[in-house]
Amino acid sequence: MINIQFYSLLRLLLKQEKFELASIGDDETIEQLLQRLQKQISTPFLQKLLDEQGEMFPGTIIMINRRNIHHLEKLETPIQDGDVVALFPPGAGG
Amino acid sequence: MPAAERYNRQILHWGKDRQQLLRAATALIAGVGGLGATVSQLLVRAGIGKLYLVDDGLVDWPDLNRQLLYNETDIGQPKLTIAKQRLQQINKDVTIEVLQKRIDQSFQPPADVSIIADCLDNYPSRFHLEASLETGSFLIHGGIEGDQGQVLTLQKGISQSLADIFTSAQQPQGDIPVTGSGATILSGFMVNEIFNTIFFQPQLLNRFLIVGLSDLHLAFLDV
Repeated sequence: MINIQFYSLLRLLLKQEKFELASIGDDETIEQLLQRLQKQISTPFLQKLLDEQGEMFPGTIIMINRRNIHHLEKLETPIQDGDVVALFPPGAGG
Repeated sequence: MPAAERYNRQILHWGKDRQQLLRAATALIAGVGGLGATVSQLLVRAGIGKLYLVDDGLVDWPDLNRQLLYNETDIGQPKLTIAKQRLQQINKDVTIEVLQKRIDQSFQPPADVSIIADCLDNYPSRFHLEASLETGSFLIHGGIEGDQGQVLTLQKGISQSLADIFTSAQQPQGDIPVTGSGATILSGFMVNEIFNTIFFQPQLLNRFLIVGLSDLHLAFLDV
């Protein structure tokens, strides 16, 4: 299973803190995983993360097993069974 | 006023040994605004040994909803001038040094700092602050935006860096929404973690505490 955790404003939007999806093999990317999740749930959320060209908006960090995907293969990072994905829009002010 | 009497209520809670640890600690507060003004005040009230305050701002009207050290009569004054004056009125036994500067790539923290509070309001300064620290230093990060905020403790050179964690989290355009209640709640969590860290028991080392103020949720995220 793949554990997908939502934090902060995304958690409020989805009214749920985590989802579990079965792995479909090693070829799936993080972007494909999130698209698959969106099809399964009633509330669209990808428009909060990606623009029309599929580029990430600044503001939300996506982590796989504690590492920001910008230090992996970004949205092309492959997902494997047992991975923990976290989506977190941090507060910027102080 | 003897310390035993002044700090009686908290010594009942954490004991004399921890009060001594607090007395021996030196903290640097980076940013004395919504978070930093309250963090510094609580540390001074608790009897920390020494504080360094770093900021380059002047008190302005939009600060007054949440920056608890400042009043209407302070508008236009350097924040650090006012902050030091108010903090010394609260507790003259605490040594307070001010560093009137913006934190950029030239920043170097004083050598005697034992713990650092990131109360800044922008990512570039946060990353410069972290980069300036010696290996092994404890950094307590706090951030708030609207009704969401987070606290995280990192140990320089051992934890992931803040810059690595927050890669792609760009600064929002314009003013950031912050309320007095939100800033005060996040400040309280920061100070609680500063105490824990001074007492050698950080609870948020490599672990975000994420605070949702509208639906009152707390969540952890390991990094």
